[in-house]
Amino acid sequence: MEKLTNALAARFASPTRSTRLTVVLGRWLGLSFTICFLTGLFSHGLQEPPSWMFFPTSPVWIYQLTQGIHVTTGIAAIPLLLAKLWSVYPELLKWPPVKSVAHGLERASIALFIASSLLQLTTGLINTYKWYPWPFPFRQTHYWLAWVIWGSLLLHIAVKLPLIIEHWRTRSGTAAGASAPVTDDGGAPQEPGRWSRRAFLAAVGVTTGAVVLTTAGQSFSWLDPFNLFAPRKMGTGPQAVPVNRTAADAKVADLAGAKDWTLTVSYQDTNRSLSLAELLALPQYEHELPIACVEGWSQTAIWRGVRIRDLVAFVGAPPSSSLRVTSLEPEGAYRTMDMPATYAQDERTLVALELNGQTLDLDHGYPARIIAPGRPGVLQTKWLNTVEVL
Amino acid sequence: MKPEMPTKAEKTAGAGNAVKILRIVLGAAGAALIGYGLLGLPTQLGPPQLLGLLVWMAVAVLLHDGVIVPVSTVAGGGLTRLGSGLRPASAAVLRGALMTGVVVTVIAGILLKAQSVARNTSALEGDYAAHLLWFWVVLAGLAAVLAYGIERTGPGRGEREQKTRP
Repeated sequence: MEKLTNALAARFASPTRSTRLTVVLGRWLGLSFTICFLTGLFSHGLQEPPSWMFFPTSPVWIYQLTQGIHVTTGIAAIPLLLAKLWSVYPELLKWPPVKSVAHGLERASIALFIASSLLQLTTGLINTYKWYPWPFPFRQTHYWLAWVIWGSLLLHIAVKLPLIIEHWRTRSGTAAGASAPVTDDGGAPQEPGRWSRRAFLAAVGVTTGAVVLTTAGQSFSWLDPFNLFAPRKMGTGPQAVPVNRTAADAKVADLAGAKDWTLTVSYQDTNRSLSLAELLALPQYEHELPIACVEGWSQTAIWRGVRIRDLVAFVGAPPSSSLRVTSLEPEGAYRTMDMPATYAQDERTLVALELNGQTLDLDHGYPARIIAPGRPGVLQTKWLNTVEVL
Repeated sequence: MKPEMPTKAEKTAGAGNAVKILRIVLGAAGAALIGYGLLGLPTQLGPPQLLGLLVWMAVAVLLHDGVIVPVSTVAGGGLTRLGSGLRPASAAVLRGALMTGVVVTVIAGILLKAQSVARNTSALEGDYAAHLLWFWVVLAGLAAVLAYGIERTGPGRGEREQKTRP
């Protein structure tokens, strides 16, 4: 068996591989995973807030930024992960696979790290395409695997720390773990046709740059001209704003288009029902706010409507109240949305009736929808039915 | 009284202890977070979903270790033979261009597959096949110009590349 693995290792050998290469790639990948983990936790906290959660409403583009970074960094991590795993591939062929209990545990933790990382990046990417070919719920799996992956990262750093320290900077001479002499000229290999460590790293950098450049335009408007491979394009959709869930998908077209539609606002024993004409008769406010989706795309637009805090006052509720908002949608995970007081009090949080100077399109939530600063798109409830002051 | 300076051996021992403590802290924190994630999964996923997750993870590893790396190794071997007649820098440009093109193609390929099965009409509206074609045209053009320029003006074969930090 050992002969076989040695023969395979020889087949896969490359003088470009070295511990120094792995350390450099590991730094880039570790940073990417950490950014994804922290921005992902922020997004999760906004959607399922723990008691201590903070809700920043300024700058209004904070969630647009953090989720754009989350998705873009996740995409950037794909070539980085592939390169990092390539750099350590011969480790897979070492025989015996387990030398001791401690070694076995380390190999098991690495297997978990690799498997969950590959799955996380793949499903994370495909989720942005709104395609779910797997037999498990995406959001919950993505969340729990994020803890497994970041924990595995810390454990991996703990195990490899002496090697990481040793190879943090370029050294002269032969690098430990290298399959060929590595020098301080960039790890230039001796064989013609091969590439040096620095050339390989440069190529990984260019590849990462290419996938970022051609996808990040869905999140960052200044990169929009280069948006070739993102699932969303800024400025598309009805009223030049993309749509995630259409009225047809939500099965609300009839209810939302009904002539007798009213928005019911309630607080304790007070119930007030407002027709669209009555809402339009209230003071109207206009704000430029982004709608930013958990899948990474975002779009800034001009929204006009009634301040939600005016509706809270309308039913005699205290200004520091939190709200429960219900959509006309007959079903769906986001049919009901809880709005913390921070958003309800903010003067820019609107029951929007107009978008970009026109009456809301049905797919954007006609006759009325919520738009609040700094919240995930799934919580910007469309096709409003009730606003309950808690 | 003049304070005594630590010797080199004492400094090394101190750094060694710091690394040891850091490793213990990182290792314990990492194991705790892994445990938190693994224990959290079954609170929201049922047995069939957990089994599905395990299968997907296993397939991801098998695809990577059994297909992606072997295929890239074979391709790398071909590029080594192809690039052996070129200057190191231009051979690296060709390898780098192929790496970029293949990774972008894989991502665009998944996008095209999603587009073919998508239910949501408001996403995936781009002409991604045409975009991919244009991407390859630009990439191949840039790589060819760069490699040609290096072959014409760059350092000779076998000479060391310029020093640059990674």
